[in-house]
Amino acid sequence: MSARAVSAGFKQQAVQFFADPQWIIPSLISPFLLSMVMIFLSSGGTSIEGPVVLQAVLGGGVLGMWANSLFSSSTSVSFDRINGTFEPMLGSGTRIIYVLIGRSLWSTLIGLLNAFIVFAIAEVMFGAGLNVQNPLLFFLALLMAMLSLSSVGLLISTLFVLTRKGGTISSVLEYPIYVMSGALVPISMLPAWMQPASLALAPTWGVDAIKYSALEGYGGMLGMSLITDVLMCVALSIVFIFSAYVVMLYVERKVLIDGTATRY
Amino acid sequence: MTGTLRIIATSAKSDFISKFTIVHPATRMLVIMCTNLFSMYFFFLLASYVGNPDVSPEYVIIGNVVQSVSTSTLYSATNISGTEKHTGTLEPILSSPSRLFFIFFGKSLFSISTGFVSVSVSLFYAAFLFGVDFSSANIGAIALICVLTCLSLAGMGLAIGSIGIYLRTSAILANLFGYIGLLICGVNFPVSYLPGWLQTFSYGMPLTYAVEATRSAVGGSALTMMAEPLLVMTLLGAIYLTAAWFIFGFFEKISRNRGSLDSF
Repeated sequence: MSARAVSAGFKQQAVQFFADPQWIIPSLISPFLLSMVMIFLSSGGTSIEGPVVLQAVLGGGVLGMWANSLFSSSTSVSFDRINGTFEPMLGSGTRIIYVLIGRSLWSTLIGLLNAFIVFAIAEVMFGAGLNVQNPLLFFLALLMAMLSLSSVGLLISTLFVLTRKGGTISSVLEYPIYVMSGALVPISMLPAWMQPASLALAPTWGVDAIKYSALEGYGGMLGMSLITDVLMCVALSIVFIFSAYVVMLYVERKVLIDGTATRY
Repeated sequence: MTGTLRIIATSAKSDFISKFTIVHPATRMLVIMCTNLFSMYFFFLLASYVGNPDVSPEYVIIGNVVQSVSTSTLYSATNISGTEKHTGTLEPILSSPSRLFFIFFGKSLFSISTGFVSVSVSLFYAAFLFGVDFSSANIGAIALICVLTCLSLAGMGLAIGSIGIYLRTSAILANLFGYIGLLICGVNFPVSYLPGWLQTFSYGMPLTYAVEATRSAVGGSALTMMAEPLLVMTLLGAIYLTAAWFIFGFFEKISRNRGSLDSF
Protein backbone atom coordinates (compact mmCIF):
# COMPACT_ATOMS: atom_id res chain seq x y z
CA MET A 1 0.00 0.00 0.00
CA SER A 2 1.46 3.32 -1.05
CA ALA A 3 0.33 5.85 1.55
CA ARG A 4 1.94 8.69 -0.40
CA ALA A 5 -0.06 7.86 -3.52
CA VAL A 6 -3.28 7.64 -1.48
CA SER A 7 -2.52 10.97 0.17
CA ALA A 8 -1.64 12.57 -3.20
CA GLY A 9 -4.88 11.26 -4.75
CA PHE A 10 -6.83 12.69 -1.81
CA LYS A 11 -5.07 16.04 -2.06
CA GLN A 12 -5.50 16.29 -5.82
CA GLN A 13 -9.22 15.60 -5.56
CA ALA A 14 -9.52 18.20 -2.79
CA VAL A 15 -7.73 20.83 -4.88
CA GLN A 16 -9.97 20.08 -7.86
CA PHE A 17 -13.04 20.37 -5.65
CA PHE A 18 -12.04 23.74 -4.21
CA ALA A 19 -11.15 25.02 -7.68
CA ASP A 20 -14.77 24.47 -8.73
CA PRO A 21 -16.97 23.54 -5.74
CA GLN A 22 -20.21 24.02 -7.68
CA TRP A 23 -19.88 20.42 -8.91
CA ILE A 24 -21.38 19.26 -5.62
CA ILE A 25 -24.74 20.78 -6.65
CA PRO A 26 -25.73 18.38 -9.50
CA SER A 27 -25.42 15.38 -7.18
CA LEU A 28 -27.56 17.14 -4.55
CA ILE A 29 -30.54 17.96 -6.74
CA SER A 30 -31.95 14.54 -7.60
CA PRO A 31 -31.73 13.02 -4.05
CA PHE A 32 -33.26 16.12 -2.51
CA LEU A 33 -36.13 16.06 -5.01
CA LEU A 34 -36.76 12.37 -4.31
CA SER A 35 -36.97 13.05 -0.55
CA MET A 36 -39.46 15.82 -1.19
CA VAL A 37 -41.51 13.57 -3.49
CA MET A 38 -41.77 11.03 -0.68
CA ILE A 39 -42.78 13.73 1.84
CA PHE A 40 -45.48 15.16 -0.45
CA LEU A 41 -46.71 11.70 -1.47
CA SER A 42 -47.07 10.75 2.19
CA SER A 43 -48.62 14.02 3.28
CA GLY A 44 -51.34 14.14 0.64
CA GLY A 45 -51.01 17.93 0.54
CA THR A 46 -51.22 18.52 4.29
CA SER A 47 -48.37 19.15 6.69
CA ILE A 48 -46.85 16.07 8.27
CA GLU A 49 -44.22 15.35 10.88
CA GLY A 50 -42.69 12.31 12.48
CA PRO A 51 -41.02 9.15 11.28
CA VAL A 52 -42.11 9.40 7.62
CA VAL A 53 -40.44 12.77 7.21
CA LEU A 54 -37.36 11.58 9.07
CA GLN A 55 -37.20 8.44 6.94
CA ALA A 56 -37.56 10.49 3.73
CA VAL A 57 -34.83 12.92 4.74
CA LEU A 58 -32.49 10.16 5.91
CA GLY A 59 -33.12 8.29 2.66
CA GLY A 60 -32.43 11.47 0.70
CA GLY A 61 -29.15 11.89 2.56
CA VAL A 62 -28.08 8.37 1.63
CA LEU A 63 -29.12 8.91 -1.99
CA GLY A 64 -27.11 12.13 -1.95
CA MET A 65 -24.04 10.24 -0.75
CA TRP A 66 -24.52 7.65 -3.49
CA ALA A 67 -25.03 10.28 -6.21
CA ASN A 68 -21.82 11.95 -5.12
CA SER A 69 -19.92 8.66 -4.97
CA LEU A 70 -21.18 7.64 -8.42
CA PHE A 71 -20.44 11.04 -9.94
CA SER A 72 -16.92 11.03 -8.49
CA SER A 73 -16.16 7.50 -9.62
CA SER A 74 -17.44 8.10 -13.15
CA THR A 75 -15.56 11.36 -13.58
CA SER A 76 -12.42 10.24 -11.76
CA VAL A 77 -10.76 8.63 -14.77
CA SER A 78 -12.80 10.47 -17.43
CA PHE A 79 -11.39 13.82 -16.30
CA ASP A 80 -7.89 12.36 -16.48
CA ARG A 81 -8.59 11.44 -20.09
CA ILE A 82 -9.95 14.91 -20.90
CA ASN A 83 -7.10 16.66 -19.10
CA GLY A 84 -4.48 14.40 -20.68
CA THR A 85 -3.19 13.17 -17.31
CA PHE A 86 -4.22 9.52 -17.69
CA GLU A 87 -1.19 8.37 -19.70
CA PRO A 88 1.42 9.99 -17.41
CA MET A 89 -0.41 8.44 -14.45
CA LEU A 90 -0.22 5.01 -16.11
CA GLY A 91 3.45 5.52 -16.85
CA SER A 92 4.30 6.36 -13.25
CA GLY A 93 5.60 3.74 -10.84
CA THR A 94 2.50 3.92 -8.67
CA ARG A 95 -0.48 1.66 -9.05
CA ILE A 96 -3.55 3.63 -10.13
CA ILE A 97 -5.73 1.90 -7.54
CA TYR A 98 -3.93 3.83 -4.74
CA VAL A 99 -4.63 7.12 -6.47
CA LEU A 100 -8.27 6.08 -6.90
CA ILE A 101 -8.49 5.09 -3.20
CA GLY A 102 -7.22 8.55 -2.23
CA ARG A 103 -9.80 10.17 -4.47
CA SER A 104 -12.54 7.93 -3.04
CA LEU A 105 -11.62 9.00 0.49
CA TRP A 106 -12.11 12.63 -0.50
CA SER A 107 -15.42 11.68 -2.11
CA THR A 108 -16.42 10.06 1.18
CA LEU A 109 -15.83 13.33 2.96
CA ILE A 110 -17.80 15.31 0.39
CA GLY A 111 -20.52 12.63 0.38
CA LEU A 112 -21.02 13.24 4.09
CA LEU A 113 -21.21 16.97 3.43
CA ASN A 114 -23.71 16.19 0.68
CA ALA A 115 -25.91 14.28 3.14
CA PHE A 116 -25.77 17.07 5.71
CA ILE A 117 -26.71 19.64 3.06
CA VAL A 118 -29.79 17.55 2.16
CA PHE A 119 -30.70 17.40 5.88
CA ALA A 120 -30.16 21.15 6.27
CA ILE A 121 -32.24 22.10 3.20
CA ALA A 122 -35.07 19.82 4.35
CA GLU A 123 -34.96 21.45 7.78
CA VAL A 124 -34.93 25.02 6.47
CA MET A 125 -37.54 24.59 3.73
CA PHE A 126 -39.92 22.13 5.29
CA GLY A 127 -39.01 22.00 8.99
CA ALA A 128 -38.32 18.30 8.63
CA GLY A 129 -37.08 18.13 12.24
CA LEU A 130 -34.10 15.79 12.15
CA ASN A 131 -34.33 14.53 15.73
CA VAL A 132 -32.25 11.40 15.62
CA GLN A 133 -32.40 8.93 18.47
CA ASN A 134 -28.64 8.56 19.04
CA PRO A 135 -26.59 11.35 17.37
CA LEU A 136 -23.15 9.79 17.92
CA LEU A 137 -24.23 6.38 16.66
CA PHE A 138 -26.02 8.11 13.79
CA PHE A 139 -22.84 9.91 12.72
CA LEU A 140 -20.80 6.70 12.90
CA ALA A 141 -23.46 4.80 10.94
CA LEU A 142 -23.54 7.57 8.35
CA LEU A 143 -19.75 7.44 8.02
CA MET A 144 -19.84 3.66 7.68
CA ALA A 145 -22.59 3.84 5.03
CA MET A 146 -20.63 6.45 3.11
CA LEU A 147 -17.48 4.32 3.18
CA SER A 148 -19.52 1.37 1.92
CA LEU A 149 -20.91 3.50 -0.93
CA SER A 150 -17.38 4.64 -1.74
CA SER A 151 -16.25 1.00 -1.89
CA VAL A 152 -18.91 0.36 -4.55
CA GLY A 153 -17.84 3.57 -6.31
CA LEU A 154 -14.21 2.44 -6.22
CA LEU A 155 -15.06 -0.83 -7.94
CA ILE A 156 -17.04 1.05 -10.58
CA SER A 157 -14.25 3.55 -11.21
CA THR A 158 -11.79 0.72 -11.91
CA LEU A 159 -14.15 -0.58 -14.60
CA PHE A 160 -14.48 2.92 -16.08
CA VAL A 161 -10.77 2.81 -16.92
CA LEU A 162 -11.75 0.49 -19.76
CA THR A 163 -14.27 2.85 -21.33
CA ARG A 164 -14.65 6.48 -22.30
CA LYS A 165 -18.40 6.16 -21.82
CA GLY A 166 -18.17 6.35 -18.03
CA GLY A 167 -20.40 9.41 -17.76
CA THR A 168 -23.17 7.82 -19.85
CA ILE A 169 -22.99 4.42 -18.20
CA SER A 170 -22.94 5.88 -14.69
CA SER A 171 -26.47 7.25 -15.17
CA VAL A 172 -27.67 3.63 -15.42
CA LEU A 173 -26.26 2.86 -11.98
CA GLU A 174 -27.97 5.68 -10.09
CA TYR A 175 -31.47 4.24 -9.60
CA PRO A 176 -30.56 0.57 -8.98
CA ILE A 177 -28.82 1.58 -5.73
CA TYR A 178 -31.75 3.88 -4.90
CA VAL A 179 -34.03 0.85 -5.29
CA MET A 180 -31.88 -1.87 -3.77
CA SER A 181 -30.25 -0.07 -0.82
CA GLY A 182 -33.57 0.32 0.99
CA ALA A 183 -32.82 4.02 1.55
CA LEU A 184 -36.35 5.23 0.82
CA VAL A 185 -38.31 2.03 0.24
CA PRO A 186 -37.65 -1.00 2.53
CA ILE A 187 -36.14 -3.97 0.73
CA SER A 188 -39.04 -6.10 1.95
CA MET A 189 -41.02 -4.31 -0.80
CA LEU A 190 -38.72 -5.77 -3.46
CA PRO A 191 -39.55 -9.05 -5.20
CA ALA A 192 -37.99 -12.10 -3.52
CA TRP A 193 -35.52 -12.69 -6.38
CA MET A 194 -34.11 -9.18 -6.01
CA GLN A 195 -33.58 -9.27 -2.25
CA PRO A 196 -30.40 -11.42 -2.26
CA ALA A 197 -28.78 -8.93 -4.68
CA SER A 198 -29.82 -6.15 -2.35
CA LEU A 199 -28.32 -7.95 0.67
CA ALA A 200 -25.06 -8.45 -1.23
CA LEU A 201 -24.57 -4.68 -1.36
CA ALA A 202 -22.63 -3.21 1.56
CA PRO A 203 -24.65 0.06 1.53
CA THR A 204 -27.90 -1.83 2.23
CA TRP A 205 -26.53 -2.81 5.65
CA GLY A 206 -25.15 0.67 6.22
CA VAL A 207 -28.58 2.18 5.50
CA ASP A 208 -30.17 -0.20 8.00
CA ALA A 209 -27.63 0.84 10.65
CA ILE A 210 -28.50 4.49 9.99
CA LYS A 211 -32.18 3.73 10.52
CA TYR A 212 -31.38 1.89 13.77
CA SER A 213 -29.50 4.89 15.12
CA ALA A 214 -32.07 7.46 14.00
CA LEU A 215 -35.56 5.97 14.19
CA GLU A 216 -37.08 5.18 17.55
CA GLY A 217 -38.42 1.65 17.83
CA TYR A 218 -36.98 0.60 14.46
CA GLY A 219 -37.23 -3.18 14.11
CA GLY A 220 -34.41 -3.74 11.62
CA MET A 221 -34.29 -4.94 8.03
CA LEU A 222 -35.66 -8.48 7.84
CA GLY A 223 -35.27 -8.69 11.64
CA MET A 224 -31.47 -8.19 11.58
CA SER A 225 -29.72 -6.62 14.59
CA LEU A 226 -27.51 -3.52 14.56
CA ILE A 227 -24.41 -5.64 15.22
CA THR A 228 -25.22 -7.79 12.17
CA ASP A 229 -25.63 -4.60 10.10
CA VAL A 230 -22.21 -3.29 11.15
CA LEU A 231 -20.44 -6.62 10.61
CA MET A 232 -22.02 -7.21 7.22
CA CYS A 233 -21.43 -3.64 6.05
CA VAL A 234 -17.74 -3.73 7.02
CA ALA A 235 -17.20 -7.25 5.61
CA LEU A 236 -18.89 -6.50 2.30
CA SER A 237 -17.07 -3.16 1.96
CA ILE A 238 -13.77 -5.01 2.36
CA VAL A 239 -14.89 -7.50 -0.32
CA PHE A 240 -15.72 -4.59 -2.67
CA ILE A 241 -12.38 -2.87 -2.03
CA PHE A 242 -10.46 -6.11 -2.53
CA SER A 243 -12.41 -6.80 -5.75
CA ALA A 244 -11.59 -3.29 -6.96
CA TYR A 245 -7.91 -3.96 -6.24
CA VAL A 246 -7.90 -7.24 -8.19
CA VAL A 247 -9.90 -5.81 -11.11
CA MET A 248 -7.60 -2.79 -11.26
CA LEU A 249 -4.49 -4.97 -11.41
CA TYR A 250 -6.00 -6.76 -14.42
CA VAL A 251 -7.24 -3.58 -16.11
CA GLU A 252 -3.97 -1.73 -15.60
CA ARG A 253 -1.98 -4.62 -17.02
CA LYS A 254 -4.33 -4.98 -19.99
CA VAL A 255 -4.16 -1.27 -20.82
CA LEU A 256 -0.36 -1.26 -20.61
CA ILE A 257 0.05 -4.41 -22.74
CA ASP A 258 -2.46 -3.26 -25.37
CA GLY A 259 -1.14 0.30 -25.37
CA THR A 260 -4.68 1.60 -25.44
CA ALA A 261 -4.61 4.14 -22.65
CA THR A 262 -6.73 6.72 -24.43
CA ARG A 263 -8.22 4.75 -27.33
CA TYR A 264 -10.73 1.95 -26.93
CA MET B 1 -34.05 30.45 -45.62
CA THR B 2 -32.09 27.75 -47.47
CA GLY B 3 -28.94 28.91 -45.70
CA THR B 4 -30.66 28.67 -42.33
CA LEU B 5 -31.91 25.18 -43.06
CA ARG B 6 -28.44 24.17 -44.16
CA ILE B 7 -26.95 25.43 -40.88
CA ILE B 8 -29.56 23.51 -38.88
CA ALA B 9 -29.05 20.34 -40.94
CA THR B 10 -25.25 20.51 -40.75
CA SER B 11 -25.33 21.18 -37.04
CA ALA B 12 -27.77 18.31 -36.44
CA LYS B 13 -25.68 15.96 -38.59
CA SER B 14 -22.41 16.77 -36.83
CA ASP B 15 -24.11 16.36 -33.45
CA PHE B 16 -25.56 12.95 -34.34
CA ILE B 17 -22.17 11.80 -35.64
CA SER B 18 -20.27 12.97 -32.55
CA LYS B 19 -22.83 11.55 -30.10
CA PHE B 20 -22.89 8.16 -31.81
CA THR B 21 -19.09 8.10 -32.15
CA ILE B 22 -18.63 8.56 -28.43
CA VAL B 23 -21.45 6.23 -27.40
CA HIS B 24 -22.63 3.56 -29.85
CA PRO B 25 -26.40 3.69 -30.61
CA ALA B 26 -26.88 0.21 -29.09
CA THR B 27 -25.15 1.27 -25.86
CA ARG B 28 -27.18 4.48 -25.81
CA MET B 29 -30.38 2.47 -26.26
CA LEU B 30 -29.37 0.13 -23.45
CA VAL B 31 -28.72 3.10 -21.17
CA ILE B 32 -32.18 4.56 -21.92
CA MET B 33 -33.84 1.18 -21.36
CA CYS B 34 -32.11 0.53 -18.02
CA THR B 35 -32.42 4.07 -16.70
CA ASN B 36 -36.13 4.32 -17.53
CA LEU B 37 -36.85 0.86 -16.12
CA PHE B 38 -35.19 1.51 -12.77
CA SER B 39 -36.50 5.05 -12.37
CA MET B 40 -40.07 3.95 -13.13
CA TYR B 41 -39.71 0.97 -10.81
CA PHE B 42 -38.37 3.21 -8.04
CA PHE B 43 -41.42 5.48 -8.15
CA PHE B 44 -43.74 2.50 -8.55
CA LEU B 45 -42.29 1.05 -5.31
CA LEU B 46 -42.43 4.41 -3.56
CA ALA B 47 -46.11 4.91 -4.42
CA SER B 48 -46.90 1.33 -3.35
CA TYR B 49 -45.01 1.80 -0.07
CA VAL B 50 -46.53 5.17 0.84
CA GLY B 51 -50.02 3.93 0.02
CA ASN B 52 -51.63 7.32 -0.60
CA PRO B 53 -55.21 6.48 -1.72
CA ASP B 54 -55.24 9.43 -4.21
CA VAL B 55 -52.05 8.31 -5.93
CA SER B 56 -52.05 4.79 -7.31
CA PRO B 57 -48.88 3.19 -8.70
CA GLU B 58 -50.52 3.48 -12.15
CA TYR B 59 -50.89 7.24 -11.65
CA VAL B 60 -47.18 7.51 -10.87
CA ILE B 61 -46.16 5.31 -13.80
CA ILE B 62 -48.06 7.45 -16.33
CA GLY B 63 -46.44 10.55 -14.85
CA ASN B 64 -43.01 9.02 -15.15
CA VAL B 65 -43.61 8.02 -18.76
CA VAL B 66 -43.90 11.74 -19.56
CA GLN B 67 -41.08 12.63 -17.17
CA SER B 68 -38.77 10.41 -19.24
CA VAL B 69 -39.00 13.02 -22.02
CA SER B 70 -37.84 15.67 -19.59
CA THR B 71 -34.92 13.55 -18.42
CA SER B 72 -33.84 13.04 -22.03
CA THR B 73 -34.88 16.09 -24.03
CA LEU B 74 -34.96 18.92 -21.51
CA TYR B 75 -31.79 17.73 -19.76
CA SER B 76 -29.71 17.32 -22.89
CA ALA B 77 -31.02 20.44 -24.67
CA THR B 78 -30.17 22.48 -21.58
CA ASN B 79 -26.73 20.93 -21.41
CA ILE B 80 -25.73 21.59 -25.05
CA SER B 81 -23.96 24.87 -24.32
CA GLY B 82 -22.17 23.35 -21.32
CA THR B 83 -21.02 20.36 -23.34
CA GLU B 84 -19.64 22.60 -26.10
CA LYS B 85 -17.86 24.71 -23.50
CA HIS B 86 -16.46 21.64 -21.76
CA THR B 87 -15.07 20.15 -24.98
CA GLY B 88 -13.67 23.48 -26.14
CA THR B 89 -15.86 23.76 -29.24
CA LEU B 90 -17.96 26.73 -28.13
CA GLU B 91 -15.25 29.22 -29.14
CA PRO B 92 -15.08 28.07 -32.79
CA ILE B 93 -18.90 28.00 -32.92
CA LEU B 94 -19.05 31.58 -31.62
CA SER B 95 -16.41 32.61 -34.14
CA SER B 96 -18.36 31.24 -37.09
CA PRO B 97 -20.60 33.63 -39.05
CA SER B 98 -23.71 31.47 -38.46
CA ARG B 99 -26.28 32.51 -35.88
CA LEU B 100 -25.76 30.69 -32.62
CA PHE B 101 -29.47 29.98 -32.24
CA PHE B 102 -29.67 27.97 -35.49
CA ILE B 103 -26.57 25.94 -34.64
CA PHE B 104 -27.96 25.07 -31.22
CA PHE B 105 -31.42 24.43 -32.65
CA GLY B 106 -29.84 21.87 -35.00
CA LYS B 107 -28.07 20.28 -32.07
CA SER B 108 -31.32 20.07 -30.12
CA LEU B 109 -32.74 17.71 -32.77
CA PHE B 110 -30.69 14.94 -31.21
CA SER B 111 -32.30 15.70 -27.83
CA ILE B 112 -35.74 15.64 -29.45
CA SER B 113 -35.12 12.28 -31.11
CA THR B 114 -33.76 10.86 -27.83
CA GLY B 115 -36.97 12.04 -26.17
CA PHE B 116 -39.07 10.13 -28.72
CA VAL B 117 -37.08 6.95 -28.11
CA SER B 118 -37.19 7.40 -24.35
CA VAL B 119 -40.94 7.95 -24.15
CA SER B 120 -41.57 4.98 -26.48
CA VAL B 121 -39.51 2.73 -24.21
CA SER B 122 -41.35 4.05 -21.14
CA LEU B 123 -44.74 3.48 -22.75
CA PHE B 124 -43.70 -0.10 -23.50
CA TYR B 125 -42.71 -0.64 -19.86
CA ALA B 126 -45.92 0.99 -18.63
CA ALA B 127 -48.06 -1.35 -20.72
CA PHE B 128 -46.14 -4.62 -20.44
CA LEU B 129 -44.28 -4.46 -17.10
CA PHE B 130 -46.28 -2.16 -14.87
CA GLY B 131 -49.73 -3.22 -16.07
CA VAL B 132 -51.11 0.19 -17.04
CA ASP B 133 -54.39 -0.37 -18.85
CA PHE B 134 -54.23 1.15 -22.34
CA SER B 135 -57.31 -0.72 -23.61
CA SER B 136 -59.47 2.40 -23.72
CA ALA B 137 -56.62 4.85 -24.32
CA ASN B 138 -56.62 7.38 -27.15
CA ILE B 139 -53.40 6.19 -28.79
CA GLY B 140 -53.39 8.89 -31.48
CA ALA B 141 -53.68 11.59 -28.81
CA ILE B 142 -50.85 10.01 -26.79
CA ALA B 143 -48.62 10.05 -29.87
CA LEU B 144 -49.44 13.71 -30.54
CA ILE B 145 -48.80 14.63 -26.89
CA CYS B 146 -45.40 12.90 -27.03
CA VAL B 147 -44.40 14.85 -30.15
CA LEU B 148 -45.56 18.19 -28.73
CA THR B 149 -43.93 17.47 -25.36
CA CYS B 150 -40.56 16.72 -26.98
CA LEU B 151 -40.73 19.93 -29.04
CA SER B 152 -41.90 22.12 -26.15
CA LEU B 153 -39.29 20.77 -23.76
CA ALA B 154 -36.57 21.22 -26.38
CA GLY B 155 -37.67 24.88 -26.66
CA MET B 156 -37.49 25.25 -22.91
CA GLY B 157 -34.12 23.46 -22.80
CA LEU B 158 -32.67 25.82 -25.41
CA ALA B 159 -33.89 28.85 -23.45
CA ILE B 160 -32.31 27.62 -20.23
CA GLY B 161 -29.21 26.35 -22.03
CA SER B 162 -28.71 29.76 -23.65
CA ILE B 163 -28.13 31.17 -20.16
CA GLY B 164 -25.60 28.37 -19.68
CA ILE B 165 -23.36 30.10 -22.23
CA TYR B 166 -22.76 32.81 -19.68
CA LEU B 167 -22.14 30.37 -16.84
CA ARG B 168 -19.09 28.24 -16.22
CA THR B 169 -21.22 25.13 -16.66
CA SER B 170 -24.84 24.41 -17.54
CA ALA B 171 -24.80 21.05 -15.71
CA ILE B 172 -26.45 22.54 -12.63
CA LEU B 173 -29.29 24.05 -14.66
CA ALA B 174 -29.65 20.80 -16.65
CA ASN B 175 -29.89 18.73 -13.48
CA LEU B 176 -32.30 21.13 -11.83
CA PHE B 177 -34.71 21.51 -14.73
CA GLY B 178 -34.34 17.95 -16.01
CA TYR B 179 -35.48 16.52 -12.68
CA ILE B 180 -37.60 19.22 -11.05
CA GLY B 181 -40.62 17.86 -12.92
CA LEU B 182 -40.56 14.91 -10.50
CA LEU B 183 -41.62 17.32 -7.77
CA ILE B 184 -43.55 20.20 -9.28
CA CYS B 185 -45.21 19.00 -12.50
CA GLY B 186 -47.75 16.51 -11.19
CA VAL B 187 -45.63 13.53 -12.21
CA ASN B 188 -45.84 11.71 -8.88
CA PHE B 189 -48.70 13.48 -7.10
CA PRO B 190 -51.25 16.20 -7.93
CA VAL B 191 -49.90 19.74 -8.27
CA SER B 192 -52.50 20.82 -5.67
CA TYR B 193 -50.37 19.15 -2.96
CA LEU B 194 -47.69 21.81 -3.43
CA PRO B 195 -47.59 25.15 -1.60
CA GLY B 196 -49.13 28.01 -3.64
CA TRP B 197 -45.82 29.67 -4.46
CA LEU B 198 -44.46 26.43 -5.90
CA GLN B 199 -47.61 25.85 -7.98
CA THR B 200 -46.84 29.11 -9.82
CA PHE B 201 -43.65 27.51 -11.13
CA SER B 202 -45.55 24.33 -12.00
CA TYR B 203 -47.80 26.18 -14.41
CA GLY B 204 -44.80 27.72 -16.16
CA MET B 205 -43.53 24.27 -17.08
CA PRO B 206 -44.75 22.58 -20.31
CA LEU B 207 -44.33 19.21 -18.57
CA THR B 208 -47.23 19.95 -16.18
CA TYR B 209 -49.65 20.21 -19.13
CA ALA B 210 -48.12 17.20 -20.86
CA VAL B 211 -48.71 15.03 -17.77
CA GLU B 212 -52.29 16.27 -17.43
CA ALA B 213 -53.05 15.63 -21.12
CA THR B 214 -51.43 12.18 -21.08
CA ARG B 215 -53.51 11.07 -18.09
CA SER B 216 -56.66 12.19 -19.96
CA ALA B 217 -55.56 10.37 -23.12
CA VAL B 218 -54.82 7.15 -21.22
CA GLY B 219 -58.29 7.45 -19.71
CA GLY B 220 -59.71 7.54 -23.25
CA SER B 221 -60.62 11.23 -23.57
CA ALA B 222 -61.05 12.71 -27.03
CA LEU B 223 -58.43 15.13 -28.32
CA THR B 224 -60.84 18.05 -27.99
CA MET B 225 -61.11 17.38 -24.25
CA MET B 226 -57.39 17.99 -23.80
CA ALA B 227 -57.10 20.88 -26.23
CA GLU B 228 -56.47 23.43 -23.48
CA PRO B 229 -53.43 21.82 -21.84
CA LEU B 230 -51.98 20.99 -25.26
CA LEU B 231 -52.42 24.57 -26.49
CA VAL B 232 -50.88 26.04 -23.35
CA MET B 233 -47.97 23.59 -23.54
CA THR B 234 -47.29 24.41 -27.20
CA LEU B 235 -47.57 28.13 -26.50
CA LEU B 236 -45.12 27.84 -23.60
CA GLY B 237 -42.72 25.90 -25.85
CA ALA B 238 -42.94 28.67 -28.47
CA ILE B 239 -42.37 31.38 -25.84
CA TYR B 240 -39.29 29.57 -24.50
CA LEU B 241 -37.95 29.10 -28.03
CA THR B 242 -38.40 32.82 -28.75
CA ALA B 243 -36.66 33.65 -25.48
CA ALA B 244 -33.81 31.37 -26.56
CA TRP B 245 -33.50 33.32 -29.83
CA PHE B 246 -33.08 36.61 -27.99
CA ILE B 247 -30.77 35.29 -25.25
CA PHE B 248 -28.48 33.54 -27.75
CA GLY B 249 -28.41 36.76 -29.81
CA PHE B 250 -27.61 38.81 -26.71
CA PHE B 251 -24.65 36.71 -25.65
CA GLU B 252 -23.46 36.39 -29.24
CA LYS B 253 -23.37 40.18 -29.48
CA ILE B 254 -21.52 40.63 -26.18
CA SER B 255 -19.08 37.91 -27.09
CA ARG B 256 -18.22 39.46 -30.45
CA ASN B 257 -18.13 43.06 -29.25
CA ARG B 258 -15.76 42.24 -26.40
CA GLY B 259 -13.85 39.57 -28.28
CA SER B 260 -14.25 37.46 -25.16
CA LEU B 261 -15.75 34.46 -27.00
CA ASP B 262 -16.94 31.97 -24.36
CA SER B 263 -15.31 33.74 -21.38
CA PHE B 264 -17.73 36.13 -19.67
